[in-house]
Amino acid sequence: MKQRIPVIEGLFAERAEGPRLLGSRCATCATPYFPKSPVCHNPGCDESRMEDADFGPHGVLFSCAVQNYPPPPPAKYDEPYQPYALGMIDLAEGLRVLGRIASDDFSKLRGGLPVELIVDHLYHDPEGNDVVTWQFRPC
Amino acid sequence: MRDVAVLGVGMHAFGKFEDKSVTDLCRTAVVAALADAGVSWREVEAVAAASSRFSGGKGWGLNGNDVVEDMGSTGIPVYNLSAGCSAGGNAFNIGTTLVASGLHDVVLVVGGEKMPKGFIQTSGVEEATDPEFLRQRCVGVSGPAFWAMLCRRRMEDHGTTEEHLARIAVKAHANSVHNPYARFRKPFTLEQVLKSPMVCFPLRLYEICPVSDGAAAALICSADFARKKTTKPVWVAASTVATARFDDGITRALAATSPSGPTLHSEARIGVEKAFERAGLGPRDLSLVELQDNTVYYELAFPEEWGLCAPGEAERLVEKGETGPTGKLPINPSGGFQSFGEATTAMGVFQVAELTWQLRGESGGRQVPHAKVGLGQTIGLGGNATAVILKT
Repeated sequence: MKQRIPVIEGLFAERAEGPRLLGSRCATCATPYFPKSPVCHNPGCDESRMEDADFGPHGVLFSCAVQNYPPPPPAKYDEPYQPYALGMIDLAEGLRVLGRIASDDFSKLRGGLPVELIVDHLYHDPEGNDVVTWQFRPC
Repeated sequence: MRDVAVLGVGMHAFGKFEDKSVTDLCRTAVVAALADAGVSWREVEAVAAASSRFSGGKGWGLNGNDVVEDMGSTGIPVYNLSAGCSAGGNAFNIGTTLVASGLHDVVLVVGGEKMPKGFIQTSGVEEATDPEFLRQRCVGVSGPAFWAMLCRRRMEDHGTTEEHLARIAVKAHANSVHNPYARFRKPFTLEQVLKSPMVCFPLRLYEICPVSDGAAAALICSADFARKKTTKPVWVAASTVATARFDDGITRALAATSPSGPTLHSEARIGVEKAFERAGLGPRDLSLVELQDNTVYYELAFPEEWGLCAPGEAERLVEKGETGPTGKLPINPSGGFQSFGEATTAMGVFQVAELTWQLRGESGGRQVPHAKVGLGQTIGLGGNATAVILKT
């Protein structure tokens, strides 16, 4: 039976309230990290106190690009290759994260556009499973 | 600290050389630099080399050792420096420090690289602990896509057009026509650039640099040694190394903290600002700049981020041709990475060679008139950066 499997375990979760990125935050300086970090990297922070934290779903597009040309390994994609949009998204929690932008009309994507976190198809593995990753959808 | 002079420089032409090893490329550059300096190999007291990620170095980045064995093992100290695409600048910094400190009088700096074809596959490691692997597997962020995101934001903030981007590529190749070491030496029209395939919107094929094979070398020395060899040495006014700040908003892995200020390559700005400070010089003193133009975007962003022009002014300079060799702010008269392709770890030394030729007035058809002060700059993976200011 074909399954829906995450591209990498432990980076995101599909919870009852919706998808979330799984990261951490320093309880001292509130700096967010994705993926989880064992230690706070903020040089201005006096004491690293890391706690697990969920991020999303609300964010704003900082900027985006279109991958018109097939990317090199280790990126994976279904054949025939279809260009996709990707961007830097500023989440409400103060985290800037990279992600695909799920959009059929790339011309509408601009800095400042509100987006929300989703989990969606990335590629099919050799067994035909639906490999999914975190993405952002204009809202 | 003592004054340091660049006494000789040499280069192997850039391109794809399937029948040559990286040691062959380095030998050509080193022999040329020694001849240019009028120095014999036996006079070289130490070597600072860029560690190649992709070729030679016995698989351990020991590229300086390859050069020493090839030229003749004399027992001298070798420093192999690794800093991604800024390794050449890093090696130059260590070389100048060895001379400035008084430890050595004559030091060879060298960088050479043979690159695999296609996009650079940064780590080659498929592990969830590797941030570069996660970027590429989970999101599909190629190098050009990263540059395209920064460029797209600039277009929205400053009204940069696709024609502005194309004009920079046209300028690069107009310069490279006059550079015998460049890989791409044919002029491009605006139409040719705008018709080249879109790689990552808004960046086209002729607006991003490919990878190349190439090598460059510089023979540097103390002031006393230089005066014995020449009446017109080129001086190292400053050489700096920097790394990125935590909060600059550049997503070097999957994420970063949202910045409180502008999004920019802090490592590049810190390196250049420190270089101005140490040289006792400022943007107004510059005759020319050789900056890391992996893509044409950086010829717009970097000059502003370093205070060489006002925010939003870069496009106006491009429109008026002021970044050409005879303009107000000549950028990359060599033809830049656009025309050479990037032999990653060689590039910091490549810039030193071009700056030296320019300051001596030996650059022929791409010569910046009356060049007195030149700035070179590299950035590399890991948030690495270097800057160098040479003066007559």
